[in-house]
Amino acid sequence: MFERALNVFWVVLGATSAVYAWSLGMIGPAGPESGLFPFIASVIVASAGVVLLLRPATLAHAPDFPRGGGLWRVLGVILGLIVMAAGMPYLGFSVTSFITMIILLRTVDRSSWLSAVTLAFLSTVSVFWLFGSMLGMALPRGPWGW
Amino acid sequence: MMEALNGLLTGFGVILTPANLYLCFLGSLIGTLVGVLPGVGPLAALALLLPVTFTLSPIGGMVMLASIFYGAMYGGSTTSILLNIPGEAASVVTCIDGHQMARQGRAGPALGIAAIGSFIAGTLGVVIMTFFAPAIAAAAIRFGPPENFALMVLGLVCTLFMISGSTIKGVLMMALGFLTAAVGLDVVNGRERYTFGSVDLSGGIELLALVIGLFGVAEILSNVETMAKTTLLADRIRGLWPSLADWRASWRAILRGSGLGFVLGLVPGGGPVTAAFMSYALEKRIAAQPDRFGKGAIEGVAGPESANNSAVAGSLIPVLSLGIPGNPVTALLLGALIIQGIQPGPLFIAQQPDLFWGIVASMYVGNVFLLLLNLPLVGLWVQFLRIPYRVMFPVVLLLCVVGTYSANKNVFDLWVMLGFGVAGYVLRKLEYDLAPFVIAFVLAPLLEQSLRQSLVMSSDGAMILIKRPVTGLLLAASVVLTFLMFRRRTKTEGGLP
Repeated sequence: MFERALNVFWVVLGATSAVYAWSLGMIGPAGPESGLFPFIASVIVASAGVVLLLRPATLAHAPDFPRGGGLWRVLGVILGLIVMAAGMPYLGFSVTSFITMIILLRTVDRSSWLSAVTLAFLSTVSVFWLFGSMLGMALPRGPWGW
Repeated sequence: MMEALNGLLTGFGVILTPANLYLCFLGSLIGTLVGVLPGVGPLAALALLLPVTFTLSPIGGMVMLASIFYGAMYGGSTTSILLNIPGEAASVVTCIDGHQMARQGRAGPALGIAAIGSFIAGTLGVVIMTFFAPAIAAAAIRFGPPENFALMVLGLVCTLFMISGSTIKGVLMMALGFLTAAVGLDVVNGRERYTFGSVDLSGGIELLALVIGLFGVAEILSNVETMAKTTLLADRIRGLWPSLADWRASWRAILRGSGLGFVLGLVPGGGPVTAAFMSYALEKRIAAQPDRFGKGAIEGVAGPESANNSAVAGSLIPVLSLGIPGNPVTALLLGALIIQGIQPGPLFIAQQPDLFWGIVASMYVGNVFLLLLNLPLVGLWVQFLRIPYRVMFPVVLLLCVVGTYSANKNVFDLWVMLGFGVAGYVLRKLEYDLAPFVIAFVLAPLLEQSLRQSLVMSSDGAMILIKRPVTGLLLAASVVLTFLMFRRRTKTEGGLP
């Protein structure tokens, strides 16, 4: 069922993209326009989606999506990354990565608070020191300057 | 011949400086570590370290990246043999007989033959590369846009031919790679496409965010889902040097693996993973007692480990001499060169002899470093294997964030990384091969430019692609290969491809 829905998505994506690419222009007086190449790619995406939809249901792959603990761990990682991407511009790298690490260690590893805080602190400081200080990368800083 | 030897001498002159030797050693060290640690593949590691190389000279950066690539092939066997889980994808088959050898108390000879076989194959591969790459570049030097276009099409078709799983899903991924690459400014006239007014999208999708998402974050998501428990057989490492009987059983497998790996590395879509699998299948097929395989046959370690190392040298030839990557790792190396302002292709060797020959010479040196790192220091790598994954993955994830952010200093790239990470995780579950996507993404600007230049210079439209002999031949080969590919899939799957 999931794969069928995804195949429909490919068809819709390819068709919509093809219409947009067409609006960019195909062939003009100076030769090929901006839309030609994406139009060809879009048609291939839509056609491949149609072919996949036409395959017998027996050939459709039933994905083994996570359940229970596995699902929580996967969601924990995704949540950690969302916190990282959303928080970095406001809180800076150090604080955001510290919070992310605690989320990851508590949801995925089920670490105790003490070990989660210790490991989060050590890894954040190590990464900040290695990339921020040693390699001179400009990592975002919070309002407090670090 | 003399030209290649002179070039190689130039290369040694470039590489034998303290700074470049240090970077080669550092790359070999990181590569081995990446190979040893399960869940951190060479592609994700290269993507993470790519921003670091921006601050280095092009030769220093490329030497480091290339040595991470072939270093990972060495390190992967350690994890396969001692833990029965592959350190990286090309060492999957080494688990079969390598771990059985470890269970029988023969972890030492298994690790030894893997490292020595890797060294022999890696060195043989670079020797062939020394003479082969300039010859290919010389033949392709007269290529114009139509020939370049046809060559890239053939490369992409070969990639699809070699992928495992559904061909049609491979085609879809390839087209999706083209579409994703179209986001941003048109390479020819600077017009915005698929940006929908977003400033963040006008610069296009960042290669690093895409690769780290698809291969770094997606890998972490897959690993945390299962969190499998493993048993480390580290206490059984004794006598790394293989016995005379081991040598007698292995030397032919090493040579066969070297040859097979090199050829499969050359073919787009081939590379170290395919080479290792094919070598194992070959050794088993021609063995006098095939039933020994799976029960600790040393040829089952020697052949694949040699093949995956030799394939690295083979896979660097098309990217350095033609500008066509055959797998995601070489696609990233191509991206790294482009970021440095260097365009690989037939003119690369003539225009950048120091860089090309420096990379080749560094591979000779790197193989020696890797032999030294992998045999005497095996105890050190074993200590890394004792780090539980639950402790390691948050740090790897943090590195993914830093690697992605540092490319453009733009938080938007983190959202792109997350999006591609989740997409890669789901698509892997649905058995979509991601290699055509990445290769198409990297090749798309060059392919589009070649196509449009060809059509502009043509007086009768697309006919230029058929009328020119080399172009016609390459496209005819692509058509034949496509036909064979669909026929094979229709036969084996008994339905639509």
